[in-house]
Amino acid sequence: MNRHEHVNRHERVKPHAEIAEVWPRDGRVRLVGRIHGRPAEGDWRLLLTRRGRTDRPLDYPAQVKGDRFEGELPLADLVTPDPAEIEEWDIHLTDGEARLRAGRQLDDIHGKKKIMVFPEQRVRGLRVRPYYTVKDNLSLECRTGATS
Amino acid sequence: MTDHQQTGQGADATGHRADATGRPKVRYLLLHAYGRGGTIRTVMNQANSLVQAGWQVELVSALRRRDDLQFPLDPRVRVSTVVDLRESAHSPGRGVAGRWRDRRRGRLTERPARHIPPGEFGYRYFNRYVEQRLIAYLSSLRDGILVTTRPALNFLAAEHATGGVVRVAQEHMNHGTHKRDVQRRIRETYARFDAVAVLTERDREEYGQLLPGTRVVRIPNAVHSLDQVPSDQRSRIAVAAGRLFPQKGFDLLIPAWARLVDAYPDWQLRIYGSGEKKAELRALIEEHHLYNHVLLMGHTDRLDDELAKAAFYVLSSRFEGLPMVMIEAMSHSLPVVAFDCPTGPSDVLTHGVDGLLVPPEDPDALAESMAKLMGDRALRADMGVAAVLTAASYGPDAVHPRWEALFSELASPEQRHRIADAAKGHHA
Repeated sequence: MNRHEHVNRHERVKPHAEIAEVWPRDGRVRLVGRIHGRPAEGDWRLLLTRRGRTDRPLDYPAQVKGDRFEGELPLADLVTPDPAEIEEWDIHLTDGEARLRAGRQLDDIHGKKKIMVFPEQRVRGLRVRPYYTVKDNLSLECRTGATS
Repeated sequence: MTDHQQTGQGADATGHRADATGRPKVRYLLLHAYGRGGTIRTVMNQANSLVQAGWQVELVSALRRRDDLQFPLDPRVRVSTVVDLRESAHSPGRGVAGRWRDRRRGRLTERPARHIPPGEFGYRYFNRYVEQRLIAYLSSLRDGILVTTRPALNFLAAEHATGGVVRVAQEHMNHGTHKRDVQRRIRETYARFDAVAVLTERDREEYGQLLPGTRVVRIPNAVHSLDQVPSDQRSRIAVAAGRLFPQKGFDLLIPAWARLVDAYPDWQLRIYGSGEKKAELRALIEEHHLYNHVLLMGHTDRLDDELAKAAFYVLSSRFEGLPMVMIEAMSHSLPVVAFDCPTGPSDVLTHGVDGLLVPPEDPDALAESMAKLMGDRALRADMGVAAVLTAASYGPDAVHPRWEALFSELASPEQRHRIADAAKGHHA
């Protein structure tokens, strides 16, 4: 692919929060990335929604400079009173109006789910691991019980 | 049912005639032609070139575990198998004789090989049954040229392919890497070959000393093509490739990369390949918090495309025969950082010209040399140009005529006379 095609492809990708780095350390997951396809002014927050249940979203401040954002997800908040064996939380970036899915859409790597793999952390009996979905979006997987 | 089956067109497997051009038939004996290793790939490249040049070529697979070949092979190359291990290949014997043969096969399968030293890395694939079938096959060969491709097969050919066939032993690994028992068998048996072919200058010298009076030739393996998309060395991607197991030294490369992350946070190391050490390497990546920078890419069928996107190639092996993927990377105009391990890197690379040679198994030195390339795009570009020139001497057009010349010479009437005499017990 030449550079021109590359630019065109980037323009075609719809607005989202492009992830550059994921740091699962010290009971948190720190995210660094860029806001793609939408002006970055305003106040942005990271939003966590439990898949299949929208009743209790969690949100945390994100620092935005230019189009670069950075923020942390404290994993202790994911401990719910009624955990299923596996819970999945999807990550968005929001300014109150737009909801941008976090993911990695702009690079050349196919099959990130198996290639960009992150370590698991344990928080109060919950095992939490960030992962890329088959659509290259970033989510958190929480498991109860012993090591698989 | 006989175990020795053929596919493709042509005469019988032991086809005794030279073709109309007067050239002898060339047979390559591989442990597993249906596998995915470097030797298999290389031999198929050789076979493709020979058959295109008008030679009659057959690949003989000692074992068969898969239905399909894993690399492209010219349909004119015949493929046959000595022992088919696929489930579908075995039908229970009928009648008393059939059941007796099955029982005998079962008994022999459980017995260890007698002619293969345990230090041969392929020892586990051999047993008495496989050995007996191979000996029967090798003893049946009367003419043409037989090329055997690893020590175990070389040992069997040296002792049993004595019916008049011209014999060439290929060594795809460097001599120092072989275990003591294998080295001893090499000294005892390789003098019986008409030629021993090695990959590097250092091996030619070592085998020459071990086997005085035996013809030892150096013919490097060829890359599959020189017609490759060049990298512009602008990306921030380093590529390494190989099976994920200790020989390849990725456990040294990962800590080396850890020393560079702070200075070069936007660079990525992509390691292509699959293998039994994947979990350990993943743990090492996590231990060094490199999950954003070092990626285990798995196996790819499109390594050429991935090399074209890289900025340099890194070889962290503890040992090699001749590292072909490194040379392929060079054909994409990639400079190389390589441990100066035995053997290959120092045969191919000129330090400071087309790459950087690093003291073996030293992660600090490896990191230092990688940093040199990461910090200097002009240096990468210069070395990339030199790398293409170096790779040119490993192209199919440069290498394969050397096999043709060797085979033609070995099959010349004077040579054949000498071989016939030797087979009758005379000394040439």
